[in-house]
Amino acid sequence: MVVVENLTKKFNGTLAVNKLCMEIPEGEIYGFVGANGAGKTTTMRIIAGLLAPTSGRVFIKGIDIAKEPLKVKEFIGYMPDFFGVYDDLKVSEYMAFYAGLQGIYGQKCRELTDSLLELVRLSDKKEAYVDTLSRGMKQRLCLARSLIHDPEFLILDEPASGLDPRARVEMKEILKELRTMGKTVLISSHILPELSELCTSIGIIDSGRLVASGSVREITEKLSQSGIIRIKVAEKEEEAVKILMEIPEVKEISSVADDIEIKVNGGKDIYAMILKTLVRNDIPVISFHPEEGSLEAVFMKLTERSSENEN
Amino acid sequence: MRINPVLQKDLKTKLRGWRAPVLITCYIILLALLLLVIFAGNGMLNPYNVYGYNPRLAVDTYNILIVFQFALLFIAVPAITATSISGERERQTLDLMLVTKTHPRTIITGKVIISIAHTMLLFISSLPVLGVVFFFGGVGIADIAKLLLFYVFTAFFVASSGVFFSSLFRRNITAIITTYLFLGLVTFGPFFAYLVHLYFRETAAIAAATTYTPTYGEILAILFPSPVFGFASFFFSDSSDYYGFNLWGRVVYYIDGYLNQQTGIMRLMKPWIVNGVFSILASVLLIIASTAVLNPLKRNK
Repeated sequence: MVVVENLTKKFNGTLAVNKLCMEIPEGEIYGFVGANGAGKTTTMRIIAGLLAPTSGRVFIKGIDIAKEPLKVKEFIGYMPDFFGVYDDLKVSEYMAFYAGLQGIYGQKCRELTDSLLELVRLSDKKEAYVDTLSRGMKQRLCLARSLIHDPEFLILDEPASGLDPRARVEMKEILKELRTMGKTVLISSHILPELSELCTSIGIIDSGRLVASGSVREITEKLSQSGIIRIKVAEKEEEAVKILMEIPEVKEISSVADDIEIKVNGGKDIYAMILKTLVRNDIPVISFHPEEGSLEAVFMKLTERSSENEN
Repeated sequence: MRINPVLQKDLKTKLRGWRAPVLITCYIILLALLLLVIFAGNGMLNPYNVYGYNPRLAVDTYNILIVFQFALLFIAVPAITATSISGERERQTLDLMLVTKTHPRTIITGKVIISIAHTMLLFISSLPVLGVVFFFGGVGIADIAKLLLFYVFTAFFVASSGVFFSSLFRRNITAIITTYLFLGLVTFGPFFAYLVHLYFRETAAIAAATTYTPTYGEILAILFPSPVFGFASFFFSDSSDYYGFNLWGRVVYYIDGYLNQQTGIMRLMKPWIVNGVFSILASVLLIIASTAVLNPLKRNK
C-alpha cells in the first residue's frame, strides 16, 4: 500500500528526516514511534502530500505522490495532531463541507455523514455547533471527517493526544473497528502500550532515521536477544556463577533477590547454550527466564543506542 | 450545478447570525446619513429654502457617495481577503482542506468569489440610497450599471491581491500589511510615476526651448494599473473643477479633456475599460501565483 524510498527533509539546513525507507503492506496497522522532534509528523505530512520532501519518493498504491498528488489523495485520510474547527458551523455542515471537498454531495453525503457519526458515536451531536464539542468529541469528529471519502489508507498523527482516559479508551475502540474494516493505518503515538496492543507492526524513528521496523513481536524478540536472563538454582549458586563467568557471551552477572541475573550478548542459540552448560555441570536449574522486552523498553534501548552512535 | 464547497461554507458561516445583517444595516445608515448631511448642507431640508434647487446637487451627491463606496471597497475587501488563507493556516484548518482531492485553485477561487460576493451584497443593498439621485436627473441607470461592473473588476483585483499575500505569508498581520502596501503602490504609484515622467519631459522641453504636451497614450501607458485612474470615468467633473480647489475633480477634468480629443480606437480606451482589463488579467495571474504558493508539493522543498 505505502512505499517510502530514501525520504529526506531539511528545514533551513536542519535534517528532520534522514533517508527514511519504509513499507506498509495493505491491511497493516503500522505504529510510528518516536520522541518529540524525531520526525514523525514531518514524515506523515510528506506521506499525506502536505509537504514536499527535499529528496526521496513516496508511493501510495504504486502511484508517485509527487506526480499525481490529487489522485493519491483519493486513497488517503489524514488526521493531524493539532487541528482547528470553524465557528458557526454545525457538525452535519462540517461533514458536508469536507464531503464537498472530496466531491461527495447530496444524498450520498447525508448517508455517509450519518454512518460515520454513528461510528464515532456523535450521532446525537449532529446539529450541535462544532466549537461547542469537547476535545475528545472534536478528535472523533476529525476522524469521521478523514473517513468521509472511504479512504483505504489512514494517517493518524497522535489521535489520542490530549484526551482524558475515558476519551482515549473510546478512541481506541474506534480504531479497533477501523482495523476490522480492513483499513491500512499509519498511526503515531507516545502511548506505547496502546500501540503494541493495536498495531500489527511498528517503526521506531529517532533523529529522522527509522532505527527499527517490523512486527511488534519481531522487534521485541530481536531486542530481547541481547537482554537479561534470570536464573534460579536450587543449590550450588557460587559454582553456577563461576561457570557463567567463563562463558564469553555473558557480559554482566548480578544477584537479584534469590536469582542470578545475567546480561547476555547474543540470540536464542546462546541462551540455549548457557542453559545446556549449566545442566551439564550438574547445576540444579529450577528456572531459566529470559526477560521479554516491552515496547517501551525496546524504544528506550533503540533510541539510547542511536544517540550513543551519534556521540 | 456544483457550488464551490469553500464558497458554500463561507457564505453559510459569514451570513449566519446577527453580524452580517447588522453590518449591512450600519453601512446603509452611514450612507443615508451622508446623504442627509449633503442635503442639509445645501439647504434641501429647509422648508423655507428660497434659493431653489441646485441642479449640480445630484451629481455632487452621486460623486460623494461613489467615492465613499470606492474607498470602502479598498478598506474592507483587503481586510477580508488578506486573512482568508493565512486565517485558515492560523486556525489549523488549511491542511484539512489541502489533504482532500480539491485542487488548491478551487480553494483560492472560492475565497476570491466570496469577497466579491460580499462587496456586491453591500453595493446592491445601498442602491436605494444611491437611487435618490435619480430624483434630480443627471445620473442614469447606465452609469450605475457601468459602475457596478467596474466595482466587480476592482473587487476581483483587490480580492485576488489579498488572497495572494494571504497564501504567501503565514501570519494574518503580515498578510494584511503587505496587501495594503501592494494596493497602495498599485493605486498611487502610477500617479507618482506620471508626475516624475512629467517633470523630466518638461525639464527636457525647457532645456530644448520647446513646449511639452503629454498625449493620452502616455497617460494611459503610465496610469492604467491604478484603480483610481479607472474610477475617474465615473466621477462627474465640471468645468469649475479646473479652477476650483477640488484636486480630484481637477484630475478627472484633466483626463476627460484628453479623452475627448481622441478619435477611433483610442476613443474607446476609457480609463475604466483599460483599468478593468488590467484588473482581470492581473487577478488571473495573482490566482495562478496563489495556487502555486498554496500547492504543498510545489513549495518548501
